[in-house]
Amino acid sequence: MIESTTHRRLENGIELACATLPHRRAVAIEFRMLAGTVDDPADRLGLARVVEETVAKGTAKRDARAVSDAFDAIGASHSSWTERECLRFTSLTLPEYVDRSIELHAEFLRTATFPQQFVDVAVELGRHELQALDDDPQALADKLVGRQAYGPILGRHPLGEFETLDRITRDDVVTFWRSTFETGRMQVATAGAIEADAAADSLQRHFDGFGSPDSCGRDIRPIEFNAARTHYPKDTQQVQIALGLRGLPKGHPEYFVQRVVLAILSGGMSSRLFTEVREKQGLVYWVSAWGEFPRGAGMLFVGASSRIEHCERAYATIFRELDRLTEDITQEELDRAITQIEVSMVIRGDRTGARCGELADDLFHYGQPVPVEEKLARVRAVTLDDIKRYQSEHPWRPRSIVTLGPKEIEAQSTEC
Amino acid sequence: MRMSPPFSSHTLSNGLKIVVEHMPGVNTAAAGFLARTGARDEVPSLAGVSHFLEHMCFKGTPNRTARQINLDFDNLGGHPNAFTSQDRTLYHAVTRASDVDKQIDILADMMRSTLVPEEFETEKQTVLNEIAMSHDHLEYVAFDLVLDKVFAGHSLRWPVLGYEDAIAAMSRDQMNDYFQQHYAPDNMILLCAGNVDPQQVFTTAGRCCGQWEPSGLRRKRRPPTIRTGIAAKQVDRFNQQVIALCFAGPPAVDTMHDTAEATAIILGGDNSRLFWNVVQTGLSSRAGAWRLEYEDCAMLILFGITEPQNAEKLTDALRAEAARISHEPVADHEIQRVKNKQRTGLAVEGESPPHRLNQITDDVDYRGRPRTVEQRVAQVEAISARTISECLERYPIDGDGYLISVGPRDWPASS
Repeated sequence: MIESTTHRRLENGIELACATLPHRRAVAIEFRMLAGTVDDPADRLGLARVVEETVAKGTAKRDARAVSDAFDAIGASHSSWTERECLRFTSLTLPEYVDRSIELHAEFLRTATFPQQFVDVAVELGRHELQALDDDPQALADKLVGRQAYGPILGRHPLGEFETLDRITRDDVVTFWRSTFETGRMQVATAGAIEADAAADSLQRHFDGFGSPDSCGRDIRPIEFNAARTHYPKDTQQVQIALGLRGLPKGHPEYFVQRVVLAILSGGMSSRLFTEVREKQGLVYWVSAWGEFPRGAGMLFVGASSRIEHCERAYATIFRELDRLTEDITQEELDRAITQIEVSMVIRGDRTGARCGELADDLFHYGQPVPVEEKLARVRAVTLDDIKRYQSEHPWRPRSIVTLGPKEIEAQSTEC
Repeated sequence: MRMSPPFSSHTLSNGLKIVVEHMPGVNTAAAGFLARTGARDEVPSLAGVSHFLEHMCFKGTPNRTARQINLDFDNLGGHPNAFTSQDRTLYHAVTRASDVDKQIDILADMMRSTLVPEEFETEKQTVLNEIAMSHDHLEYVAFDLVLDKVFAGHSLRWPVLGYEDAIAAMSRDQMNDYFQQHYAPDNMILLCAGNVDPQQVFTTAGRCCGQWEPSGLRRKRRPPTIRTGIAAKQVDRFNQQVIALCFAGPPAVDTMHDTAEATAIILGGDNSRLFWNVVQTGLSSRAGAWRLEYEDCAMLILFGITEPQNAEKLTDALRAEAARISHEPVADHEIQRVKNKQRTGLAVEGESPPHRLNQITDDVDYRGRPRTVEQRVAQVEAISARTISECLERYPIDGDGYLISVGPRDWPASS
């Protein structure tokens, strides 16, 4: 249960954070290549995701199936995601296979061949998934509010748009890969039954000479917040309600105050939104508030879906709760929110994969691991006055609002 | 019941069984009350009562209001939740290991819900919202049609959420009758996994649950006939078409269970035949195979999502893979891949109390006793090309099965 955490920059440019948890049965690794949808050319939106989907579909040594077979041969569970500012590649293995897992990641990240057939398939499947978004109203509302609230760069959806996907060629994929895949853009986090020196040695060997070691890909792109209210008609049984609110970035001195505020609003079953919108009135099945954090930026979201006959009440109640947050806040409520955050951290700490993900987030946002105890101390230090000051200094106005469904909401509180 | 470490078990005089897995390396504990009842134990007029009741158990007890339940969980920082399936309802939470007694106390209190009348109509609206939400999702609509057709004539056929009209018409008294019968200690199990002292859990359970009265309920479950046929549901508002092919498989308690799981993974898991031969040909953004299993029946579902005009191609591709695995021996390396990944997956499961709680719930409910990670690894190791072949001979998937199609296209024609 004793964790030792280290952070270093390797000679080849890779930034490594390692949490050694000696009694764990597995090792989690996360590679972050600091390039994402923000790096898509404007007329090739969706390109980063096509790169992520195809980068392991063939290497100088192996074809696509053989790459997957090589991971399966060591029982590694591996996944990848495209995000705004990074591509994430994760792996969970038994400790004896860590070096092999790193070697395989190095092989496909460094020597990807991007066979034409798999680029074509990735583009085609991207089109399918864009269509599938229409069959998932909640995911569609998330996409629409993200695009509206963040603005044109940070608001890009990983899948891109139909017309931009169609333009993506294998040359585009190779160009993106050549220009962004290099050790100077790599952050690696690992947690579990692994020693930092062993991880560093393996990463140094397998990634030696992979592009420029100079640190890059860490620019901050400001949010171009777009206050607007848009309704999208759709034939559904429920109306989706989605709000984007300006938030604070993870590095901001008041970030942990904001984290507690989010817990008060939507952290548990006694939280404001769950209590007022669902428990007291039965207006929704789900209602939630959460934060998203591009590098150096923050955006808060509130989402819910409600049947047509209840959607205006649900909408008005959500707005009321956003506005009255500090009116009757109590110390007990604050204490509950803090406890919830504490216990969530303990639960995450029990899971090797989650601990690794947190470490990778630390590297991404803070440039170094931040001890869990330090985060907890910041959370525990939040006072009622901090919360009142937060809401006074960072009012959740203006707002970016999207509704989706068969009925346009005519609630009185329509101010953006 | 005698159990070897890390498990301990105890049964209260009223019939409540308690099973604990001691996990010394973790900081948390997961606990859950399993009510061995679900949608299949309902009558048609009360379809959805199990799930609605699950909601109501959060809404008030002799000792706590709904608000107090929520406050008490949040004061622990606990992560409570519940789910209802066709054959079980589980109420569970995760907290710091040191708070496991308090966690069990709240969960136990919820199991004696008073079904607070003032909350009943409000919560009914929440459930109706949940049903409406499911109707807006293509895959949920398709899954409901699978159950409706494959289990036609049997109580497994209706959705866990029930039907809007049945929920709207349901009375508190009807729910209470069902509740009194099915939430008795002799039809429930308390499960716990984490860094806890089993004796302490037994003591807490005795204090919280010892006075509960057994009902003597004898479950009247009968296995369904797994139907074959063709059914299509045209829904204009969706863009894509879901295709599902359903075949009978070995039940959860069958000795072929692990082999059937491995077969499904080879067919439709990561790096599977369907991934390479269907997804990576651009035919479907998502295709796979999974088992829906109960103690007395199961089915293997091969599914995919595609553009409506490709429904035939996708169906042909799914059938081709079903036929190929039926008639050509599975290669050793395919089986070894499954085993390798299972070993890693089980190692990770072994460090997570919520994951272990889910697994021991399955084991205890279906098999009568929990299995260690090592025991499960050993069972996976016994899988071979021969056992897969035997499984597919006993539960063939190269026949018609049940073909389900949902989307904007009326294919195959409804006739």
